[in-house]
Amino acid sequence: MSKADCVLRWFLALFFLAFLLTYALVSHAASVPMPDAEALLKRSDAFRNGWPAYVVNVKITTYEAGRSDEEHLYEVSQKGTDKTYVDFMSPREKGRHLLMLGDDMWVYLPDTSRPVRITPLERLTGDASNGDVARTNYAVDYSPVFLRNEKIGSVDCNVLELTAKRKGATYQRVVYWLRTEDARPMRAEFYLTSGKHIKSATFDEYQAYGGKTLLHKLTLYDEIRHDSHSVLEYSEATQRNLPDKLFYQGRADRF
Amino acid sequence: MKYGALISGFLLLAGACCTLAQDAASSEGGPVKTRYSVSVIDDATFYGNLREPLPTVLNQVLVEPSFGLRYQDRVSFSTSLIGLAGTYSDNYSQLRVKETYAGLSAGDFDFTAGRKMVRWGTGYAFTAAGVLDPPRNPTDPTDRLNLNEGRDMVKADWVKGPNAFTIAWSTAALAPANENLHDTTAFRYNVLVHGFDTSLIAGHDRGSDSFGGLTFTRVLGQAWEIHGEGMWRDQGAVLLGGKFTMHSGISFIGEFYTPPNTGYYRDMSVSPFAGRQHYAFFNASKTRLRELPGWKEWDVSGSIVANLDDHSDAGVFDVNRWFGNHFSSYLHLEIPHGSKTSDYGAAPYSTATSLGVRFQL
Repeated sequence: MSKADCVLRWFLALFFLAFLLTYALVSHAASVPMPDAEALLKRSDAFRNGWPAYVVNVKITTYEAGRSDEEHLYEVSQKGTDKTYVDFMSPREKGRHLLMLGDDMWVYLPDTSRPVRITPLERLTGDASNGDVARTNYAVDYSPVFLRNEKIGSVDCNVLELTAKRKGATYQRVVYWLRTEDARPMRAEFYLTSGKHIKSATFDEYQAYGGKTLLHKLTLYDEIRHDSHSVLEYSEATQRNLPDKLFYQGRADRF
Repeated sequence: MKYGALISGFLLLAGACCTLAQDAASSEGGPVKTRYSVSVIDDATFYGNLREPLPTVLNQVLVEPSFGLRYQDRVSFSTSLIGLAGTYSDNYSQLRVKETYAGLSAGDFDFTAGRKMVRWGTGYAFTAAGVLDPPRNPTDPTDRLNLNEGRDMVKADWVKGPNAFTIAWSTAALAPANENLHDTTAFRYNVLVHGFDTSLIAGHDRGSDSFGGLTFTRVLGQAWEIHGEGMWRDQGAVLLGGKFTMHSGISFIGEFYTPPNTGYYRDMSVSPFAGRQHYAFFNASKTRLRELPGWKEWDVSGSIVANLDDHSDAGVFDVNRWFGNHFSSYLHLEIPHGSKTSDYGAAPYSTATSLGVRFQL
């Protein structure tokens, strides 16, 4: 065997080895399934909605220029994925109620003589919008698409892009970071129909309530007025048997 | 002296309410839930260019406690009172019952007895179909001093899925003597269908007319809400309205209302011979001017209401400013315009400016 043949054989052997190695790596990568975005979103909703029917208290503290500015208290009753009733508990809002039925929303103001129908734009009013408090079942409101894997600090996350699929959705588009390990929400960016990035959120703390791990603290950052943010603290989440008539829009005799 | 008694009463009541609230807090999650609220308003109204020999300033202090109790989501009791002390041509004080009623829930049925405010009309400044509603005042549609009172009634509601049936009987026996009320029996069917919140209303006023009508509200797209009412009571009354909300949070409300000139619908200042009336209302408002640095606690609203037949109108401007969570102050300015015999021009002043402070607990 000539020296040239020997070199050629070694070259072919190395080439074959490299080919096998590359093939193995590529086939392994191809065999890793893309995450099921729908399933991930449904799992993530379970961290915000522990039971089919429940009541939770929400305290919203708004900060302006790093200073605590005002506090609002709400009692949120939710049944299924499309019925929410919010009782405003702060002195300055006492007597107000917000009702969401599917895509429709009403606010009951004690100083007007009728329940007022809310347009989708009005869902965005307030430091934390009505929609932030009342619509927490993203799997119902949005169609998810898996975007990429990404780390937040040292935590591996799946990043989803959510697009509104019904008019009752609070935002047109949401980019949503979910912890790879358990689909726990970690971070979100919220966009309007115009494409404007209006808010960001960090899901800061989780706590155990009635054997479930549920969201305890969420911070919403105003991306238009950068010196403002709101902290939403959830407490006393309790499974409750809520009657359908609590969610009836014609019921003016609210407690 | 009367003010002193009123304030003492308020303090006693507030103390009692706080005690009850603490009791309720200690039984969190228990079968009994209580709620309370108290508001105190000190209001001064200055009348400009009075055409009659009347005092130019009306001072009023209002104490408005509310208390509600619910037992096992089954039995409820609610009361809301108004203590009013005023100084105008003479001093006066009144105790009014805004609402006091008991409720019982049994399955899909809710029963209510007592004085209660119901809101069947969908109009903001006017109502054609709100047969049991408190009266709408287009120059004060939000009832800024919370002086509206309910009707004395027995009511039964049956709610099944998206359908709700209500039957109510209301007596006029306890209504103030100056109110043109009759005993009323009314039925309402309410359903949400294809986004239309729709109600059919029918009934009869004892010794007066039978009536029937329809109300609806609907949201269109991102920013529009439309509402309307039609009622036949001897003749037809129609209301059509809409609300538009901008991205900035500024809201516009417009309404057109045409009632027949019959005893039931006629405004006191309108001649019985004037024929059918036509009204237009327009309002622009913004709560919390947060886009302007330092103006976050301010709410502003401006309205104009016009009688299109006698060409009279009234402009209304409201400003409200919050100080923390419990205190607010406000300015309410009303400027009527028109001939002395017209609907809005008949007001005996050229301007009415109200200034006040409000405490809410």
